[in-house]
Amino acid sequence: MVSIKLDKVSLVYKLHEKLTLSAPDRRLGATGGRIEGSGRKQFVQALDDVSFELTAGDRLGLVGPNGAGKTTLLKVLYGIYEPSGGTVGIEGKVDALFNINIGFRREATGRRNIVLRGLINGWSEAEIEEKMEDIIAFSELGDFIDLPFKSYSQGMAARLAFSVATALDPEILLMDEWIGAGDASFQEKAKRRMDELAEKAGIIVLASHSESLIQSVCTKRLTLKGGRVESLTTAPTKRARTATKF
Amino acid sequence: MISALNSALDDIFGAMRLRRVWIALAHEDIGDQHRRTTLGPLWLLVNYLAFAGTFVFVFQPAGKDAAGYAAYVAIGLMVWFYLMEVISLSVPLFKREESFIEGTTLPLFVYVMRLTVQSAIRAGYAVAGCVMILLISGPPLTPAWLWSLAGLLLILLTTPALITVFAFIGAFFPDSEFIVGNLMRVGMFFTPVFWVYNGQGTIQTFAYLWNPFTYFLDIARIPILMGKFPSNAFAFTGVAAILMWAMALLLLGRYRRQVVFLI
Repeated sequence: MVSIKLDKVSLVYKLHEKLTLSAPDRRLGATGGRIEGSGRKQFVQALDDVSFELTAGDRLGLVGPNGAGKTTLLKVLYGIYEPSGGTVGIEGKVDALFNINIGFRREATGRRNIVLRGLINGWSEAEIEEKMEDIIAFSELGDFIDLPFKSYSQGMAARLAFSVATALDPEILLMDEWIGAGDASFQEKAKRRMDELAEKAGIIVLASHSESLIQSVCTKRLTLKGGRVESLTTAPTKRARTATKF
Repeated sequence: MISALNSALDDIFGAMRLRRVWIALAHEDIGDQHRRTTLGPLWLLVNYLAFAGTFVFVFQPAGKDAAGYAAYVAIGLMVWFYLMEVISLSVPLFKREESFIEGTTLPLFVYVMRLTVQSAIRAGYAVAGCVMILLISGPPLTPAWLWSLAGLLLILLTTPALITVFAFIGAFFPDSEFIVGNLMRVGMFFTPVFWVYNGQGTIQTFAYLWNPFTYFLDIARIPILMGKFPSNAFAFTGVAAILMWAMALLLLGRYRRQVVFLI
């Protein structure tokens, strides 16, 4: 049974004043979250005392202003960031759709890029083989699949990236904004694929600024502000997918 | 300390399970660098031979010292170019892999092994060039050559540790990319890559005896050129390898989760 349980999770990291010869006012990069402390002992309190529990069928929408901690929380759930306090308990295979263009190589063919992305996703050779034709068919690239990625138009590249990224069998799906790709006709297809993906996943955690999207997809809503939970509510189900407006 | 070691080993074993990822990426890297060229990666062999030939042509001493100089330079350049490339490319490694580190859960050691394989493939072409020069220049083929092979293997085994240590230095100290790059360029002249140490001058003596790179060169060079086992050089390099691995494990164990906040 898939589940997510966060108990008093916090994420604090030291703001490293890098050892550099640059002028002092150029040493600190732009950061989100709450900055605490002063001088050389500055910390970013990215998440503070975050607790919630999700079980199969839950669709959690993360909302809040920029820098509230939505993406940070997704990255904690995915395992990119290790929390500094509290516990994260996850049952189930977690897949994430953060940056769908990651790992694509300009010089490699579309087919080779599918293999590379599959390897990066942790798929076995058999899984890559199994998904290959579906991905190619979905991307509508036809014979272009054996040409270098750099020869693709922006729309073609986006279609391939979307097709590979969404060829998942997720138990738990993490998304930083709902993704779409390609021209108008492909957008429709992409929406249907995203709906199917959401349907298949046991749990979805979606961070978005789109109120209508959160209302149409999510059954729970977590509002973050400054890394803290402001509210956690159960939303009325409005999951009439066919009527979804993105 | 134990938890740091466990954490480092988790990362390393995780990367080993994903070996198909770093092998595939390293091959793509090499292919991309030479795509659309007529010779492809054979340019690596041409580059090496051009360098070695130039050094031999310009610096070959006259008289009886000339014998064996070509072999001396060939082995010296092969090892030096390998170490220089590994160290110089290691420093900005995590910055270069930023999008992967911030977007995937791949173990950090995947990136270390990706660079290791890349460097080993490039070194393979230099080894081929070096063997060609050795066969032409004529040092006798003896069983001692196997010690050179063992020396190269030791260098290869030290490579992931070297990369890890310098990658963390680069993550904590971004300016080190340029400092290390300059030091490695200057370092070639302070290392007996193309000059032969005969007990001459204070600077050469210091540069020969106190330069750790000397011993990395000697474990590959002395068995072929002198037909003997360089015990001191092997002992030094072995200890250096152990220390580098200890540092690498410590850094990986303690700071691998911090890297994402540093880059």
